[in-house]
Amino acid sequence: MFSRSLIAAAALVLMFAPAAAPQSPQKLIPRIELPADAPVEMLSADWGDSSATPRGGAFIVDVRAALSFRNAGQRRIRGVTLAVLSQEVTPGGKGSVSVPSLDVAPGETFPVNINLHLLRPIGAPGGPSVEVRLDGVLFDDLNFYGPDQLHSRRMMTVWELEARRDRQYFKKLLEQAGGKGLQEAVIESLARQAPADAPPGMQILRGRATNADPESEVSYAFLHFPGAPVDASNGMVRIAGNEAQAPRVEVINRSPRPIRYLEIGWIVKDKEGREFMGPSMPADVSLAPGRSGHVGQDASMSFNKRISIQGMTGFISSVGFTDGTYWIPDRNELNDPKLRHVVGPSPEEQRLAQLYLKRGLNGLIEELKKF
Amino acid sequence: MVTHIAETDLALYVSGDLRLLRRAAVGFHAGRCERCRRRMEAYRADRDQTRKLAGEMPEGLDWQRLAAEMSANIHVGLAAGECVARRPERRILRVSWRPAAIAAGMVAVMTFAWWLNMPAGTSGQLGRAMSAIWHGRANFAAVASRDASWDAKRNGPASFASFGPVVVATPLGIELRENDNVIGGSEDSAPVAVSASMQGSASARYVNADTGQMTITSVYVQ
Repeated sequence: MFSRSLIAAAALVLMFAPAAAPQSPQKLIPRIELPADAPVEMLSADWGDSSATPRGGAFIVDVRAALSFRNAGQRRIRGVTLAVLSQEVTPGGKGSVSVPSLDVAPGETFPVNINLHLLRPIGAPGGPSVEVRLDGVLFDDLNFYGPDQLHSRRMMTVWELEARRDRQYFKKLLEQAGGKGLQEAVIESLARQAPADAPPGMQILRGRATNADPESEVSYAFLHFPGAPVDASNGMVRIAGNEAQAPRVEVINRSPRPIRYLEIGWIVKDKEGREFMGPSMPADVSLAPGRSGHVGQDASMSFNKRISIQGMTGFISSVGFTDGTYWIPDRNELNDPKLRHVVGPSPEEQRLAQLYLKRGLNGLIEELKKF
Repeated sequence: MVTHIAETDLALYVSGDLRLLRRAAVGFHAGRCERCRRRMEAYRADRDQTRKLAGEMPEGLDWQRLAAEMSANIHVGLAAGECVARRPERRILRVSWRPAAIAAGMVAVMTFAWWLNMPAGTSGQLGRAMSAIWHGRANFAAVASRDASWDAKRNGPASFASFGPVVVATPLGIELRENDNVIGGSEDSAPVAVSASMQGSASARYVNADTGQMTITSVYVQ
């Protein structure tokens, strides 16, 4: 009788075991959507070991793709952003890949590598699929093509302006101080990017956080750039331990042109006197010349528990005008002692610095001469 | 040939036990049949005689003695029954080990399935919720915050408390988390820089070592 019961129990376990075991990764069904009039066309797509692994009630979608595109338009391409979607509504389904600092002539090809980790509900129609869409293309004349659903236009435009500014800075340095001067500047830039100066991790939560620490509303100061078209003042934020919530600030348009967008950067100071770069706060505004308004965000930023925020300092990092042009701080303004050791270099400065590490000074000089 | 009523029907007619229709038929027949009427009166006379005899008590009957004998016989019968009859068994609820073993097996399989399939963060959240219920705390967030603080002490500076969809940017990369589960992110090599936006996105910059091409990967809360 004992052995019969044992066999029955073993059969029961064997019957349920396959359902209990984690399922193996499934083949991902990729889909690439490019509009018929898109200025780029896809040449090839290698989805490598992209997969979708069932986990709980969702697929963990690993997108590892090497795509190749051709410039099918008549203008040089400076940047491209692709939206990568495994689902559009719930969290975890949206990502993007941007490639700034490109210089792709008509007919030339360029690669875009995707390495993203997304989530997709198991019951979603279409099975374990992922969709890649073109969100935007930026041309050398700063014109833009694309649906811009991820605000890639302003991001890529600012990156391109920063790239032009920084290339110009290095070119001028090369002219004035020669290769040695350029080398010193690049080494100094690499030192700013060193891991020892890396900012601590931060977390952004939309809405109100759940910190149990008592909070206090404090005002924060602003750095004023002489050439900035916007002045900011009366900044207030609620600080509770390692969290800063619901920042808001008053801004005034000092320029003769109406403003539709601005972005504020923050330098966060903890109680031990350390300073590091916080998240940015982009905001869509409608500021006529001379008019003021309020900018705020119902969100909280938090740092790891070892950091206790003491205060914050804000600065205007970019401004977008209604005519489609943008303002960014120049190199002199970024050389402010308070900003210099906190604000990281632009994507282009980082690219050039990495290029110096890979190809040396001559490789860097050759790259600067291309533009 | 004259057909007479059966003897049993005549006896039942006399005792009044015949059904209504049969009784009417027998009465009708007896009214016209001399033989059957005489048999019927004979049954009636026997019945009256029997009733009369049954109503008379035997001579010299001692009621006291009869009652004592009856009581004694009853006691003797009960005593004999105790000697020969089996005692009724008391019903005992027996618990077999087999259903318990099957239930334990099922629990083991379900636990194994949970461990294999459920993200660690979900298990952690469930544990915290159970802890809050166990300790009678209505404020689950307070328990979660306390536990997250412990997590931070255990796991170092990259540890955060997350109770809804949040984006996280650390020097190692970017992640989208919900209830402490990683639900999105970039798994490339270490980025050259990370950034976050209060609008709910995090970005990581990567430089391709071979081509020098900069790629910026972003994840969004929604």
